Amino acid sequence: MLTDLLVRLHAILRRDTVERELDEELRFHVEHEVDRHVESGMSRADAIRLARIEFGGVEQVKEDCRDARGVGLVHSLGQDLRYGVRTMRRSPVFSVTAIVTIALSIASLATVFTLGQALFFRPLPVDRPDELVTVSSTRGGPTTEGLVSYPDYVTFRDRATTVTHLAAVYPTAPLFVTVNGNAREINGAVVSANFLPMLGIRPALGRFFRDDEDQVPDRDRVAVISDNLWRNTFGASPSAIGATLKINSVDFTVIGVAPPAFVSLRPFPLEVYIPTMMLRVGYRWCDDSLAASCTVLEMLGRLAPGRTLADAAAEMPTLMPASWAHAPKGENSGVVVTPPRGAFTDDAEQRLVRILAGVAIVLLLVCCANLAGLLSAQSAARAGEFGIRLSLGAAGRRIVRQVMTESLMLALAGGVAGVGLSRVFIGALSTMFYAMDDEGHPLHYDFSLTPTSVLTAIAAALAAGCLFSVIPAIKVVRRPGLVDFKRRSTTARWSSGAWLLGAQAAVAVALVAVTGLMTASAQMMLAGTNFEASHVALMRLRPRLVKYAPERAQRFQRDVVQRLEAAPGVESVSMVGIGAVLGGGAAGVALPDWDDGQRLRVGYNEIGPKYFGTLRAPLVSGREFDLRDSTQSPRVAIVNETLARRLWPSGQAIGATMLVKSIPHQVVGVVKDVPLQSRADVLQPWAFVPFWQNPAEVDSRLAIRVAGDPAAMLPMLVHEVNRVDPDVPIAETITLPIQMAGWMRPLRVSATFIGYAAAVAILLTAIGLYGTLAFAVSRRTKEIGVRMALGAARARVLGLIVREGLTVVFMGAIAGLALAAAGTRLVGHLLYHAPTADWMFAAAAAMLVLIVGLCASLLPARRAAAVEPLVALRHE
Amino acid sequence: MTDRSSRVDLPQGTLDLLILKAIALGPQHGWAISDRIHQISNDVLKVQQGSLYPSLHRLERRGWIKAEWGASDNNRRAKFYELTRAGRKQLEVQAGAWRALTLAVNLLLDTP
Repeated sequence: MLTDLLVRLHAILRRDTVERELDEELRFHVEHEVDRHVESGMSRADAIRLARIEFGGVEQVKEDCRDARGVGLVHSLGQDLRYGVRTMRRSPVFSVTAIVTIALSIASLATVFTLGQALFFRPLPVDRPDELVTVSSTRGGPTTEGLVSYPDYVTFRDRATTVTHLAAVYPTAPLFVTVNGNAREINGAVVSANFLPMLGIRPALGRFFRDDEDQVPDRDRVAVISDNLWRNTFGASPSAIGATLKINSVDFTVIGVAPPAFVSLRPFPLEVYIPTMMLRVGYRWCDDSLAASCTVLEMLGRLAPGRTLADAAAEMPTLMPASWAHAPKGENSGVVVTPPRGAFTDDAEQRLVRILAGVAIVLLLVCCANLAGLLSAQSAARAGEFGIRLSLGAAGRRIVRQVMTESLMLALAGGVAGVGLSRVFIGALSTMFYAMDDEGHPLHYDFSLTPTSVLTAIAAALAAGCLFSVIPAIKVVRRPGLVDFKRRSTTARWSSGAWLLGAQAAVAVALVAVTGLMTASAQMMLAGTNFEASHVALMRLRPRLVKYAPERAQRFQRDVVQRLEAAPGVESVSMVGIGAVLGGGAAGVALPDWDDGQRLRVGYNEIGPKYFGTLRAPLVSGREFDLRDSTQSPRVAIVNETLARRLWPSGQAIGATMLVKSIPHQVVGVVKDVPLQSRADVLQPWAFVPFWQNPAEVDSRLAIRVAGDPAAMLPMLVHEVNRVDPDVPIAETITLPIQMAGWMRPLRVSATFIGYAAAVAILLTAIGLYGTLAFAVSRRTKEIGVRMALGAARARVLGLIVREGLTVVFMGAIAGLALAAAGTRLVGHLLYHAPTADWMFAAAAAMLVLIVGLCASLLPARRAAAVEPLVALRHE
Repeated sequence: MTDRSSRVDLPQGTLDLLILKAIALGPQHGWAISDRIHQISNDVLKVQQGSLYPSLHRLERRGWIKAEWGASDNNRRAKFYELTRAGRKQLEVQAGAWRALTLAVNLLLDTP
């Protein structure tokens, strides 16, 4: 065993010595043999001849000896590689095609991998992230977040032993920050003093919070700012430390700057940190944000040395505040410990990445099919060469290995190029889709390359290399006609190549059809059905952040609407009280004669006058809300057609009474349905009530219809609002089309990605068809010559070749129609319009692929038709 | 040259046994090994020279023989192979197996 290893190692490491000795040993043998023959009376020349004949092929013996020493593999691999490089240089077109093909498909795979990693699997950008745990409350029912109040956090923090430095954080605080006279809304975090040190983060400048700065409510007005804010608003000046920062109209002193490497635990970059004792400034939706009733904080801690997540999970439930034991339904009543999540765990994004990964894998398979076809043709062209080598005594497996070595070299080159190309794609993806959320807030994702993603991409490339070379390689050796390598001009049919080509055409049709559907879907959505998104500017007014009472806030809102409507270029202005301008919340509605407790859950929003006019959503009957609908007037409501049909099938909606949140409202209008749902969902019933009939309204989101480009108008509009009251925070100043584009991110990302895959698939189909046909034509020159000599017209020869190509593409396209239908179902949740026109997209995709196939077939067909019979027959 | 018909092709695996036996008495170089097998078998067994050397290298790798460079009888540098302890044991095992086999085959063939 040991000798075995030593001999092998020696053979590999000291190859030159071993080779020289082998040479000497064999030469000694032959010379000895010669001497003996001479002794027995032969002439020296004859003796040498005889000895050589008896010994056989020296090179073959050497090769066998190398094999016997276990060095053969390495040695011949070197040979294969050198030979591979030579082959690649000899057929550069094939090599370049192969490398580009692999690069294009590996790039898409690496892009999806990087995207998935950035969205879901990145460890937090902190010190030893695997030690961190999230401690979340549970509420015995389906609730969104496991948030706790400050007093409850303290209960856990002070008694926990398995978790050191349990920290609290409210990470999505919209803070209205005024510095040097510039006011804007930025995302900040309210954090316990131990939060940043617990994460292992050190200040880039100044210091972080001291423990005593987070002990007395409202006393210590200190703030830590991000590297980004420090650079952009303080010009990276050291004098930023000690500067004053007005946060939600309260003055804070800057004490430190966070390092540039730490941006956030979430996709939303954090720009400012204030201590939990200042929560009343940072969180404005509770009367007292530090009270036990105000659950807003997340808990994050580091496991004590030697403790595991299971230890913490066992301890935390024993530390629950006493009140949790008798908590009413829907309040905190339990606690779970989990590893911190990646950047995001969003169902829609997960589904998106799964779809993209599927497409990338299909594309890689298409690429394999394509290269398998091309390689088959190429190695068939090399049949003569392989035949010679086989008959000279090369082992079949050696030739298989050589073909595979060449393919793996191409695959490796393609994989490396693909990883490089994926950087370009990722850059485009992040600026096009992942730079901003649908409210205009900046997003931060870490899309940088990791060793895992590089290795995965290279491994995938090599696997593809094996896949596309194994069949052609085996065929090389098994080919029965290989031995008689002289007969080169026999007819070459390409049945297995035809299957592969057909499959490529089918995938191309499906991808093109789905791309078409998705693009059309996004366009139709943006164009709007029963409303017009273009020319609408949005902004969010947040007097709550600066603690305006409803009365003062509503006066401000009225003044803003009046001032904006008077501004040049503004056509109309309206607002909503809940959620986005085209969104809202949910509410239960009922008819007066329904049983107690019977409710219909509908979409719900509180809207200003002229809301439907501003969005150009037509009323079916009745009227819009106007300024007469106030807290003094009877309560009124508007329903959409779906709700009207549901509640009053006979059509008497106007004037009817409907209970909205148990309060009677009179229906004054019916508006057309505005379909925003994907085709996987059904149209929702909606109920709208007047913004001005809710005396508690403080914040609003405005919709402003303008004559020109809304994006260009926004600065002027913001300026007008500032003239009403410069202290009120304005946020989310974007246009409605941009917001809707943000909602449709999964659709747009898939459309772009699948569009790319479709383009590559079409290109591959064309290349594959062209390559295979061109090769077939070159092999059949003699047959074509005979046909022409016997009277076949050139047009007939042309038709013959084109028909052969188109038959394959046609069969593939038919299969592609079925594949397109299946693919459409898979992405149904992303599509917005009804499926009635789907077949048109599939048919158009099939036509496109057929036309491309026709073009790819015409070139080789024309070459076939140009064959001169006499020349072809004299050939060979 | 010997008549072709009187020469016997070596059954698979026997070459190793013959090599081990040929060097049992002392170190030999490749040519001498082949010559020895040839002579002792009264010219019946003729080692294919093409397969002799790969066998030698394989046996060396297995640790049954070891090689050393020395001077041949005509005073030239040659590679001499000798049995290792493991090789000697292997020779006994293989020779025993071979005898058992030939005995059994002979019995079978001699049965009328």
